[in-house]
Amino acid sequence: MKGGSLFKPAILIVGVYLFLKFALPLFTAPLPASLIFLYLALTTTGIVIFATLSGQSTEAFFGPITRFLSGEGLAGGMKTARLLVLVLFPLLVGWQTYSSTAPSEQPPAENRTVHPAPPGEFVGLSNPIPNTPDNVMAGKGLYAAFCSPCHGGNFDGKGMAAKGFNPPPANFSDPTTIAMLQESYLFWRIKKGGVGLSIEGMPWKSAMPRWEVELKDEQIWKIIMGEYDGAHQKPRTWE
Amino acid sequence: MKMLVRLKPWSIGIIGACLVSGFLAPRAGWAQESVSVRAGLVKGTLPADDPAAAAWNSAPASEFPLSPQVHWPNRILEVTAQSVKVRGLHDGKQVSILLEWADPTEDPDDAAALEFMVGDKKAHFAHGQPMAQVEGGPVNIWFWKNKDAKILDMNAKGFGTLKVQDQQDVTGKGVYQNGAWKVVFTRPLSTADAVNDAQIKPGDFINIAFAIWDGKKDAAGDLKEKGSQKAVSSWWYFRAEPPPDYSGYLYAAIAIGLAAGFQFVVIRKLKKGAST
Repeated sequence: MKGGSLFKPAILIVGVYLFLKFALPLFTAPLPASLIFLYLALTTTGIVIFATLSGQSTEAFFGPITRFLSGEGLAGGMKTARLLVLVLFPLLVGWQTYSSTAPSEQPPAENRTVHPAPPGEFVGLSNPIPNTPDNVMAGKGLYAAFCSPCHGGNFDGKGMAAKGFNPPPANFSDPTTIAMLQESYLFWRIKKGGVGLSIEGMPWKSAMPRWEVELKDEQIWKIIMGEYDGAHQKPRTWE
Repeated sequence: MKMLVRLKPWSIGIIGACLVSGFLAPRAGWAQESVSVRAGLVKGTLPADDPAAAAWNSAPASEFPLSPQVHWPNRILEVTAQSVKVRGLHDGKQVSILLEWADPTEDPDDAAALEFMVGDKKAHFAHGQPMAQVEGGPVNIWFWKNKDAKILDMNAKGFGTLKVQDQQDVTGKGVYQNGAWKVVFTRPLSTADAVNDAQIKPGDFINIAFAIWDGKKDAAGDLKEKGSQKAVSSWWYFRAEPPPDYSGYLYAAIAIGLAAGFQFVVIRKLKKGAST
């Protein structure tokens, strides 16, 4: 079974690739292509080291490759396969070179952090306004007047003034927005607006007003209550 | 001692497929409609002051939605212009940008503006207003108004700082036809004043934003949209396309030659080794 020494590594590499590409993402996030490539390179290195531990295994491993490449004693399908490999390899290298040197036609990719960390003074503040039906109602009224043009009467980010903005106004009914944030975070975002964001939040793109210019802190806290209630979400807490 | 090669053609196929799929793995890309305006390079004359020129038909149009300006007071909650269509062309020296939007009435106070960041610092799309945690830069605004029949080259760095430049570099013209405005803005790609003017280098993506005013008057004789009460977009991208670059093909050809040469040398060496 000397040829088997090449067959087994091939199966191993294919198996590792299929595992990384399809099986692992069932439990983790999909792996980036560069990481898969790294793992496959490690696997290949391991196989080569293992195969070259002794002179005999080296011959068993490299023998078939050597004969395949030199074309010694090949016939039929294998002859065609060899020709194919010899033609495809330079083409693949050429294609790879082209795609890595060709100038990019795409605008720069933007990795905007949607919820960057707030400044220290806004961490852990609790809402000083009692959560009473009256206050929630008042908050909803303020929301309707000041926030709903963009964030929408249905708290879904689809207000009539929303569509020209990039990034779009937040959709509060989406469980990945206010439901995963604390009230103090919303207080910061409403009070300081888009221009209050840190650099990873790309403050130059945000249309969110700096409401501290027009609203009192008390009104902002009420708006936060009205927002959670209207969007049927609960603030995140740490208990 | 002659050993049989047991590699079956199908196993080679699988290895090949794995290699190819590794190379074909998705790369970080950006596929979304109208995130940028592409100003193509023209060989002939630029339609620098002719919004209705046939040359514009060859330029691909990008369309950007507009919102009422709600970012700072005085805000407005409803505007006439819902979107703006943008085309660009350049001839290596000058760039022309054509805005096109629907407006049911032609009014003397109808107006439009383009906005760019100036220099390396990011600027907020609302007149480059100050940001709390990021040091911002100024914006360069090109402003056209129907009744003035000219374009003003301006700067701002924050609200209330809008200033007309001493050196005016932008020209253009507006034409109202069939319920729509077409306005062309033209300027040299680069200017001597890098402190105040956006510099457009072919091949580079720069930020651009738009504003439109409907100069219609209401029953009381007041302008419906004026000053900060306007239709706006946030930042998008603009690029003056560079001349075609074929160097990628050359590099690929060299790589193919090297790979083929490497193969040749290796196989020759293997054959020599096998025959001794």
